[in-house]
Amino acid sequence: MQSRIYIKTNFDLCTGCSLCQLACSERLFGGYNPHLSVLRIDHRVENLYHFPTVCNQCANPYCANVCPAGAVARNQETGAMVVDSDKCVACGLCGRYCPIDMIRTDPETGKSIKCDLCLGDPQCAAACPTGALEVIRINPEPSDV
Amino acid sequence: MADGYMNRFLFVDLTRLEARSVPVPERLKKDFVGGKGFGARLLFELCPKGADPLGPENPLMFMTGPLTSTAAPAMRACLVTKSPATGLFLDSYFGGRFGPEIKYAGFDGLIITGRAEKPVYLWISDLKTEFRSAEKIQGTDSLEANRLIKADLDEPEACAATIGQAGENKVATALINCEYNRQAGRGGAGAVMGSKNLKGVAIKGSQLVRTADPKRFKNACKDALREIRESEACAELTEFGTSAAVSFSSEIGTFPYRNFRSQSYGKADKIGAQGQSKHLFLGKSACFGCPIRCSQSGAVRTGKHAHFVTDTVEYETAAMLGSNTDISDIRSVAYLNRLCDLYGLDTISAGGVIAFAFEAAEKGIIDSPEGVDLKFGSSSGAEFIIESMAFRKGPLGDLLADGVEKACRKLGQNTEEFAIQIKGLECPGFAPRGTPGMGLAYMTADRGACHQRGFMVGYELGGQPYQGQQVDADTLTGKARILKERQDYLAGSDALVKCDFGAMGVSPETYSRLLSAAAGRNIPDHFFDSLGERIWNQTRMFNLREGMTFKDERLPGRIIKETVPDGPLQGKIITEQDMLFLREDYYRVRGWDVEGRPTPETLERLGIEDGNTRYFTTG
Repeated sequence: MQSRIYIKTNFDLCTGCSLCQLACSERLFGGYNPHLSVLRIDHRVENLYHFPTVCNQCANPYCANVCPAGAVARNQETGAMVVDSDKCVACGLCGRYCPIDMIRTDPETGKSIKCDLCLGDPQCAAACPTGALEVIRINPEPSDV
Repeated sequence: MADGYMNRFLFVDLTRLEARSVPVPERLKKDFVGGKGFGARLLFELCPKGADPLGPENPLMFMTGPLTSTAAPAMRACLVTKSPATGLFLDSYFGGRFGPEIKYAGFDGLIITGRAEKPVYLWISDLKTEFRSAEKIQGTDSLEANRLIKADLDEPEACAATIGQAGENKVATALINCEYNRQAGRGGAGAVMGSKNLKGVAIKGSQLVRTADPKRFKNACKDALREIRESEACAELTEFGTSAAVSFSSEIGTFPYRNFRSQSYGKADKIGAQGQSKHLFLGKSACFGCPIRCSQSGAVRTGKHAHFVTDTVEYETAAMLGSNTDISDIRSVAYLNRLCDLYGLDTISAGGVIAFAFEAAEKGIIDSPEGVDLKFGSSSGAEFIIESMAFRKGPLGDLLADGVEKACRKLGQNTEEFAIQIKGLECPGFAPRGTPGMGLAYMTADRGACHQRGFMVGYELGGQPYQGQQVDADTLTGKARILKERQDYLAGSDALVKCDFGAMGVSPETYSRLLSAAAGRNIPDHFFDSLGERIWNQTRMFNLREGMTFKDERLPGRIIKETVPDGPLQGKIITEQDMLFLREDYYRVRGWDVEGRPTPETLERLGIEDGNTRYFTTG
């Protein structure tokens, strides 16, 4: 079994503050805009509920399945499905077929951007003041046991 | 170079249905920074002297600051215009998501003038502006308008600022609803928007907001977040929002009861944190970028008004629509709050108007219409007045829709004695007898009676030390100096635009570092104090130009003629003599002449230029 990191979303703790999205856009683009982050919050019923959605890092990853260039692959250390921008041909198919709309497009290159779990240290969860985004780490069994 | 600004204003002319982008002058950024600062200078330059607040030439300005929409915690935006309630400078602040979106769309501010021939709404998206018909939306409440605009655009993620029927009907206490449960509440900005035939502004953008020194900025953000985490006051706001202040205020004797006749309320717990926790609260919601999450979101789910979503019934609303009208069922107060939000009325002023009307009816000066009980404690009476005002129904609705100052002038019969207002703005929910410094803050606030331009109650009865010393509540000497310092600092930091609740945790030094790293400029010690003094004098120059005089800076008759009849501050009063002493001392401390006019030396020291020198021309 490989090492995996998950971000568990706890909508009951989410206040909709978007500090997660600001941290994300800052890491990806060096500036602030929640619409450019690779996670989403749906604010519902006049802000009575806030539903955060993050990339599921799917076991059956549609993004990778549809990619014609083999640009989306799993990182063995984190378990994240990661876009290799050298291979990405900016066709947008991964975004089109992502069932939860988690792929963004780089405004300059047109290439796809998705959550890579910040190489193992998710900045969104670090910025969350309430625990609505919770990092779950599953370590591999030691092979010699 | 990135500097936290978008470096563009959007000028919108509704008469010609034209919009254009104008660069923000570097000198304006340097001297006035943003938010209130931008608004103060631009209103002075762009609003013609003597302009009708409800005329096309009065600019309606949504202003952000250099930290708005960044990860600096608890930042907001503001609305600046000439107030139809006071005829003076108006700044009204709102949190939520609308303000940040202005910058994401590419602008530091929206400056709206003119008057559309037919109702319209604006759709601003990534530097593009569309004027869209609001004829099918006109007549709806503020939240229905919000829903219809997003549906019309098929843009569920856009943010919208809308007015309800009160704004359309140019009610002097009408607000702008900046979704959800966030309003530019005070002073009648909604009426200005209505006078322009502008039902809403929808906005969304994908522009990045960048800072000059991202690494240093992130470190300053971390410090600000830590200061908020370590602040007891912020922790209380996280737990209860402002509702916790209800019982506290009643206990110290600053809670207005029955149109400010008394200053404590036996049923305060029912409408404060205790009652609200039981009947309303369900979860927590935050403004954009804020870890405090002071909104205790919930719903009224029992009783005759069930079911509707409600935020915290804020301290001010509980004071003014609850205690001041003697309505103690928190679900009823939440319902009145809801009506005000939907129709688009400021709950503070609405509570002041209702209490004024109840007292006038009690004294036989106005008659209760058939089937309506205009008396203290009557929730249905309060509901009747809210609806009458919002729709200007009948002679009574029309009378009250212009606020208590204009109503008392029409009614005569000494009603001015119990018209609890200053400069045309109804007093907010801290009753000032026993806290003369707070009285002075109300008298001298630039937008009319306001508790957010120097909260002296904290020093006078809240145990907050000033320069390490306890402040005696009754002493008059020295209050003007403390107040000046507070007004200056708040005005300066309102240029960022900071939230008052965030500022309970974040230190001046950290705000300085945030601004320095974002804007890439050297921020000296006491920067916000001197910036604020410049802004405060700038708004003063506007108000004096528009005809305000020192004679307008006085407390309501009740406050200077009647003692507090009962409660912890029984017997307290701010006499006419006290009031005049405080005012004179204040003018002196400010470097103003005896009639409250900044002296030439003061203006020169602050670098405030006259009307002939302009920061920019609109072409």
